[in-house]
Amino acid sequence: MSIDYDPKLQALFAEAEQALDREAFTRGVMHRIDRGRRLTLVLWSLVGAVAIACLALLAAPLTTIAGFASGLLPMELVEIETAWLQQLLSPINTVAAAIAVGALALRSFYRRIFTR
Amino acid sequence: MRYSSDLLARSPEAVLVGLSRNGHRDAFAELVDRRQTWIRNLMRRCCGDATLADDLAQQVFLQAWRRINQLHDTARFAPWLKRIAINTWLQQKRKGDPLLDADEHREFDAAQRETPGVAVDLDRALAALPEDVRLCIVLSYHERMTHGEIMEFTGIPLGTVKSHIRRGTRKLQAQLAAYVESIKEIT
Repeated sequence: MSIDYDPKLQALFAEAEQALDREAFTRGVMHRIDRGRRLTLVLWSLVGAVAIACLALLAAPLTTIAGFASGLLPMELVEIETAWLQQLLSPINTVAAAIAVGALALRSFYRRIFTR
Repeated sequence: MRYSSDLLARSPEAVLVGLSRNGHRDAFAELVDRRQTWIRNLMRRCCGDATLADDLAQQVFLQAWRRINQLHDTARFAPWLKRIAINTWLQQKRKGDPLLDADEHREFDAAQRETPGVAVDLDRALAALPEDVRLCIVLSYHERMTHGEIMEFTGIPLGTVKSHIRRGTRKLQAQLAAYVESIKEIT
């Protein structure tokens, strides 16, 4: 403690402590907590309802896109006629692999440019 | 599960904190009931305005309720709550509320002027101090925090904390001389 610290002032602060109406304050806090809980519940219900509505509306186009992607992603990039080489390169010789490599390159490029 | 209010009133604070972490509303209400006088008085000394102080104290308890799962050591509820209270006050200051800026030199309202007493005079003397000085003084004298703790809680450099407390102490001694002299010598 500093040499300028005054115990008499500390006693004054203790003396200034007021007895306050506790019940009304607690009620106020709990009322705000309950209101926040209700608001959260309403918001989540709303988000759920919107999500369900979106899924219902987009179900058909999403199924079409998924079907298209499942057909496109495993397609070979380069046609290889030798059977054993085709098997060996199959994990990287696909549209999916090209997209993955592209994404990784883009990420590394982004990091090189924007970090530091 | 419901517990009687009598049982909650007799429960140790750590138990109430544990129950509150599980979303037990009544246990948290008991915590609010136990700790509110301290937090409300701390806020009153910080801002010198009873209405604003109570509003800020409510915000402190609301934040405590939202973040109670982040409190890992249930026995450290009080220091954790104090940290929330100080952060709430610092955020309020940063908002630049024009009423707060006016606090430093503001006129006390009629009700406060008509209510004599050490609390009103102390708040008036504190209101005359610059905000950072007031905060350091309140944390030092009201909360009995060390200079190091004040530095840690507020981010104010140690040397500045010391000079704020020195300067604030002298100003309060001068303004509250009548009260200070009436207090018996404390060793």
